[in-house]
Amino acid sequence: MSWRLKALSANLLGLISPASVLCIWETAGALGWINPVLLPRPSLILRSLVDLVGDGAVFSPLLHTIALFAVGYGLACVIGICIGVAMATNQVLYGLLEPLTECIRPIPKSALVPVLFLFLGIGRATMITVVVLAAVFPVLISTFQGVRGLDPVLLETARTFQVRRQRTIFSIILPASLPMILAGMRVALGLGLVLVILAEMLAGEDGVGFRILDLQRSFQIRDMFAWIFVLVLLGGGLMMLFDVAERRLVPWRGRT
Amino acid sequence: MSERLGFEHVTKVYESAGADFVAFDDITLEASPSEFLAIVGPSGCGKSTLLKMAAGLIPPTKGKVQLGGNTVSAPPPGVIYLFQQYAKSLFAWRTVIDNVMFPLEGAPRSQRAELRARCEDYLRQVGLSGFENSYPWQLSGGMQQRVAIARALAADPQVLLLDEPFSAVDALTRMELQTLVLQLWERRKFTAILVTHDVEEAIFLADRVAVLSARPTSLKEIIDVGLPRPRDQLATREDPRFLKLRHHLTTSLLAKGSGHVVAA
Repeated sequence: MSWRLKALSANLLGLISPASVLCIWETAGALGWINPVLLPRPSLILRSLVDLVGDGAVFSPLLHTIALFAVGYGLACVIGICIGVAMATNQVLYGLLEPLTECIRPIPKSALVPVLFLFLGIGRATMITVVVLAAVFPVLISTFQGVRGLDPVLLETARTFQVRRQRTIFSIILPASLPMILAGMRVALGLGLVLVILAEMLAGEDGVGFRILDLQRSFQIRDMFAWIFVLVLLGGGLMMLFDVAERRLVPWRGRT
Repeated sequence: MSERLGFEHVTKVYESAGADFVAFDDITLEASPSEFLAIVGPSGCGKSTLLKMAAGLIPPTKGKVQLGGNTVSAPPPGVIYLFQQYAKSLFAWRTVIDNVMFPLEGAPRSQRAELRARCEDYLRQVGLSGFENSYPWQLSGGMQQRVAIARALAADPQVLLLDEPFSAVDALTRMELQTLVLQLWERRKFTAILVTHDVEEAIFLADRVAVLSARPTSLKEIIDVGLPRPRDQLATREDPRFLKLRHHLTTSLLAKGSGHVVAA
């Protein structure tokens, strides 16, 4: 069997469990085992979802959420990688920053959303900041560990070829620790998404998070679930994109 | 081009809590320009540390390493290190040709095409034509070490330091790589210093073999190999002089304690 076929069958295998859950849910709904008002059948939710996409109502809140998330996540990755590399390669910076990061890191970032509303107001600045705060630490920590864990042979090779420090960072240290950096970015992706939805719920202006809470409050449960399905697709889609990017960027992972 | 590389009264002491740990004591040893010098010693005697001092990667506690007329304090240009762990020394994110090009990347862009052609020739010399656009992790161990050798050639080595470079490949590949390094050495005439625990490899490749004692490591003896060149994997290894040297060196290495062994 070719690897393409194998990958395809693995993907199909992965579809079995969510499909079973949907089937059981649908059957339970049709047989009247669950309250259709609180938990509508997936087929009905799907119909709401189709309507949502059909009349274009999905796009504005979705773009709002994606834009906030993308800016926050992008900033978090850049900041996390920079600080991670700096801390791993410079003992003074490590001494300065390590206590601070260890203080902020364990705080559940959701607890900071009300605080940030105070200082940054209820708006984009807060939402982006909260995504940055949530996503930056996984990137920072794995970048740090990736750089610290580089084989001395690699760095000694660079030294014997007279590579200057700055070039070592860009042409050796960053590419060599890329597998670890991406592992951190993967964790950060999930966390950032959680926080952007939560912040939207608390800010109550726009976005998928706001929609979900708003529909729950006005008891439009079917539409609320349709938006949750939108989030499932968004999260799954981002993870798939991430997988593709990772395979292209670090094809050597696990082979050296 | 090649340079003289000398260790002068080199001592390395590692400071640890309580007792200092003497890795070597007062080693004086020299490789003349274009010489192939092998250093053998029991495992754990710090052979690699000695080589890393020559590369300017580790400073000696006392004494100095001299390259040409200069004292080595940082990795000097033209001193290239071939690691035992070739896979870790290659850049996995670069193709084979880009690995070989690495030492030349400081050069102006206008020379790129010419340098690339030169690097393709180095790959041909190590028998890797056609693998330019492969990645190191797609190659076998022996081929990866060939990439590392081609990259070393690209850096135009005056001194090539070989740190057990063939100990992680199978026996047949090892012989092929030994022959390859000898051919390249005869062509380019760089100074070569090989560290190995393999007595036969040392005799087969080197002009002289320096024997180190167990810890605290000191120089036990230096023998002249004196076997004719070009050397051949079969003829040289079957030469009675080869066997005599092997007997002598093995006895010397197997002898316990730091006492000097009587020459054969």
